[in-house]
Amino acid sequence: MDLDIGFLGAFQLPFMAHALLTIVVLAVAGGIVGLGISMRELEFISDGLVHAVFPGLVIGAALGGTEGLLPGAVVAALLASLLFTVLGRRATVGNDAAIAVVLTGLFSLGVVLVSRQSGYVSQLQELLFGRLLTVTTAQLWQIVAVALVAALIMALSWRRQVYRAFDPAGFEAAGFSALRTDLALTVATALLVVAGVQALGVLMVIALLTVPMAISRLLTRRFALLVPIAIAVPLVAGVLGLWFAFDLSLRAGVNVSAGALVVLLLVAAYLLVVVATAPLRLGGRGDRGGRGRRSIGRERPAGEASA
Amino acid sequence: MNYFALASLELGLLGLLSGVVGTLIVLRRRSFFAVALSHATFPGGVVFAIAGLNVLLGQALFAVLLVLLMTALSRVRGQGRQVASGVVLSFGFALGTLLTALNPGLGIPVEALLVGSPLSVTMTDVIATAAVLVAALLLALSFGRRILLHTFDPLGYAAAGYRGWPIELVVSGVIAAGVVVAMPAVGAILGVAILIGPAAAARLIAPNALWIAPIAALLGVVSGIGGLWASRTFDIAAGGAVGLAAAAVFFLAFGVRAIWERARARRRAFETAGARA
Repeated sequence: MDLDIGFLGAFQLPFMAHALLTIVVLAVAGGIVGLGISMRELEFISDGLVHAVFPGLVIGAALGGTEGLLPGAVVAALLASLLFTVLGRRATVGNDAAIAVVLTGLFSLGVVLVSRQSGYVSQLQELLFGRLLTVTTAQLWQIVAVALVAALIMALSWRRQVYRAFDPAGFEAAGFSALRTDLALTVATALLVVAGVQALGVLMVIALLTVPMAISRLLTRRFALLVPIAIAVPLVAGVLGLWFAFDLSLRAGVNVSAGALVVLLLVAAYLLVVVATAPLRLGGRGDRGGRGRRSIGRERPAGEASA
Repeated sequence: MNYFALASLELGLLGLLSGVVGTLIVLRRRSFFAVALSHATFPGGVVFAIAGLNVLLGQALFAVLLVLLMTALSRVRGQGRQVASGVVLSFGFALGTLLTALNPGLGIPVEALLVGSPLSVTMTDVIATAAVLVAALLLALSFGRRILLHTFDPLGYAAAGYRGWPIELVVSGVIAAGVVVAMPAVGAILGVAILIGPAAAARLIAPNALWIAPIAALLGVVSGIGGLWASRTFDIAAGGAVGLAAAAVFFLAFGVRAIWERARARRRAFETAGARA
């Protein structure tokens, strides 16, 4: 079979190379932003941002076709990050319910808008499942640019993010603006969602934001190693997922979503790490071990500290 | 019974269910759990649709699996409390996507699974919803006091010598059942909207905790039927319309609460000024 070009040959095909580059960019940016999300336990807000980008994509596509997707998503992401930052800071009990309502409300808006257009079902599926293997050169550059901005925001506010996460009271007492720092983190998350959404699909971006850092935190307790591990894991999962998708379409003739394979591999890696590190965790059940674990991140959800 | 009456009945029942399930989710802060669970039961529906069996049953079985998985993962130390929900959500959704891609041409109604289709609800779905509503009410009546105590004063609950896990189990079970029966009508992504929205709104405007459940049930019926009406009038996706209606009810309650608090603050300021004078 002359199409059997092997592992390395496959990634020399233009569409595979594009997909691989997309994975590299998303993994690096995801590792950096992921630490911010993990430190502040913003997983649910990230999920909210993921859903909120959906109506932006729909409106963008309706106004400007494929070129309109990115601007629409960016506008929606920025508006949503403002909304969720404010919601997250409101110290009233039950702000997670408010996040859930806004999240489903915005997604409903997207569904309602999509349902008014022709080709509703195929369009909906395309947005939800992503198209990692058909990333065009223009899209790749867009992804690089947006992910770079997200990483840059994190890099510029890095020290403040860490200070705010570990010592929120000290942070405010030192005169820093908690709102501005929170907003920077949420905007960076939202931009990463925008970067990943066209490749991985609306709902699977959440895996990129949360799973790599979850794996990393189980594997190491050294702060300096968290980001490198969180970048390396999705890279491996991404390469393998792309290869499986390629191989499946070649041998079995089925078109599977490469994004779904990548996400499933990530989750498999997480479960493997959970099982593999279980003896270590059970062994270190002493008082000291418990406190050491807890030193990364706070035990309270975001927003409560400002109460 | 025609399909529109059946859909109204189903959404009405789901609205009432919001009074029990939604209130539990909101008061016990299980929103992310509910959202993750509803997204992730999608593959269960796909598998049973491929096998030609009842989709609801597949989702219910898969939901049980996911609750067990989430309970196990949330006990893993050294990670954030929201990680288990995030992982399960990604896993379920990616698995569902993969399964649909592997079985093209089988005519799996993916969009119906994801965003729901109230107008294709069957009598079986309605009966399942009614059964869950009755069961949830019975459980709430028999465990209600203990659940309230455990929710608002976990330390006091433990000090009184009760065990925590039966309550957690009952609550998780009721939430999972509610999420699953909401799926045929409102779908895997928006199913939680009809449950959480009315209860979150009720929590904002209820005078005390005991009023939250009845107000939530009332608002739930209003948003369910209102969404269905909007869907027919404006020719939009029914699942989305119901989700929007629930969000609208919440924001209305938010506005009412804000006005009410401002009025109270002004009255208090006036009273203190009067006392000083």
